[in-house]
Amino acid sequence: MLTAKQNMIECMKGGNPDRFVNQYEAIQLLFHPFMFANPLLQPGMEDVKNAWGVTNTFPKGVPGSFPVHTPDKIVVQDIENWKDYVHAPSLDFSQEMWDQCKAMYDAVDGEKAFKAAFVAPGLFEQTHHLCEMVNALTYYIEYEDEMHELIKYLTEWELKLAEGICSNLHPDMLFHHDDWGGHDSTFMSVNMFNEFLLEPYKEIYGYYKSHGVDYVVHHSDSYAATLVPSMIEMGIDVYQGCMETNHVPELIKKYGGKISFMGSIENAAVDFEGWTDENCEKVVRRVCEESGSKYFIPCIAQGGPGSVYPGVYLSLSNAIDKLNREKFGTENPESARLPLQIMF
Amino acid sequence: MAGIQEIYELVEKGKAKKVAAAVQEALDAGCDPAAILNEGMISAMDEVGARFKNGEIFVPEMLVAAKAMKNGVAVLKPHLATGAAGAAGKVIIGTVAGDLHDIGKNLVAMMLESSGFEVIDLGVDVSKEKFLETYEANPDTKIICCSALLTTTMPALKQTVALLNASAGRENIKIMVGGAPISAAFAEEIGADAYTEDAATCAQKAKELVA
Repeated sequence: MLTAKQNMIECMKGGNPDRFVNQYEAIQLLFHPFMFANPLLQPGMEDVKNAWGVTNTFPKGVPGSFPVHTPDKIVVQDIENWKDYVHAPSLDFSQEMWDQCKAMYDAVDGEKAFKAAFVAPGLFEQTHHLCEMVNALTYYIEYEDEMHELIKYLTEWELKLAEGICSNLHPDMLFHHDDWGGHDSTFMSVNMFNEFLLEPYKEIYGYYKSHGVDYVVHHSDSYAATLVPSMIEMGIDVYQGCMETNHVPELIKKYGGKISFMGSIENAAVDFEGWTDENCEKVVRRVCEESGSKYFIPCIAQGGPGSVYPGVYLSLSNAIDKLNREKFGTENPESARLPLQIMF
Repeated sequence: MAGIQEIYELVEKGKAKKVAAAVQEALDAGCDPAAILNEGMISAMDEVGARFKNGEIFVPEMLVAAKAMKNGVAVLKPHLATGAAGAAGKVIIGTVAGDLHDIGKNLVAMMLESSGFEVIDLGVDVSKEKFLETYEANPDTKIICCSALLTTTMPALKQTVALLNASAGRENIKIMVGGAPISAAFAEEIGADAYTEDAATCAQKAKELVA
């Protein structure tokens, strides 16, 4: 039996995976020092200002934290003078902090799982975290120059972060977050997306890949089918979070071999009050049947191993293991992977 | 001279900075304010809504069009008969208790306003009692729109609709629901009158419901 990591590689290259990849089993999400200087919020933490000055909140019972944008809390009060408001946080960390993170990387069995550097939020998200969503989307049309400048500034900061991560931690995978759409549509047209985000992301992902990272997983739990050609050009290997609205089987047929798709299990289909193991299994069977084991990883759409309702993520994993046992005769998959990482 | 067609084009293209001057110029030239509103701006937003629904334009284009219309209405409002700007009727809108996601709700509110409705926006995390209280304070309300983006807030949507359904005057209002996890079947199950999947369709459906 292949290890979870070997199996995911076979899946991504369209080789000979010996079973379905089981959600995040082959991806160990790991931290870097900035995440300790700018910690992710835990459920119940509300109105916490981050290192960029963005106020975030994470009420209990929602899938993740999000920024608060009452008028007084919007960082960029004047887009024409955004430089007066946006001040990139320092990325100068002590060697001791890097070493602490490196120890976490070293503790991961690299035969069984990728050591994935987790980076969030991405460029687009950061623009609307700083400006507020409606403002930001409007600025992409009304203040093109300023938005290009802001994205350049954010890109330079991300590149400096990438330099620190690659030189100190040596990940073999990047898990990068940037939501580019809603359930049924992208936030912006392909042309606008390419005009603002394609080159910056080519630069960022190109840097990681030329400094030891083998695979880039990009998270956007949304519709983004029209952006797939741009994703491929950026160097994304796995589009994580792809919702069913993307018509994943068609994407696999069209783009398999250039990119893989990880998702299809939307939270709305499985992760709700009164959820059941039976329903989780039914959804797993359906998406696996539709998309197969090459270029496709059945996975909850949200960005990270977990679910809103405790138990759902594990139920989905159990269902995939069950299907693998039936379809591929896979026994004892635990021996080929690390203990499942369930973060929330 | 700016005419109604030019105002239509400015709104459709989202030229927010130019619309106010064009509206003023049209007024100075003697154009009928109601025609500027209906044929110039609301018609343009209908077209914007249709193009959004068809996937020809996206949220940024719709936002700048709505902003352009808002700027135009600000100039036009003193010249319109009282209530003309919200002639389609009054709508109460908000996200249900526990739901803090307002992007979709804001888009719906903008499209409703742009379609001639007067919108009372209660914001996010609105209790069912607040929806009812606002309706009781505004008995001429035609539609109440409630949204839930999360599976965790679907029960709150159900409770809100149940409370409104039990209220006096229910027969005089329509209840519309929306949000990513919501479906037409769920809307029917909880007793709402309509579900729409995007802001443009919501505005269109709202007009049908009050016609």
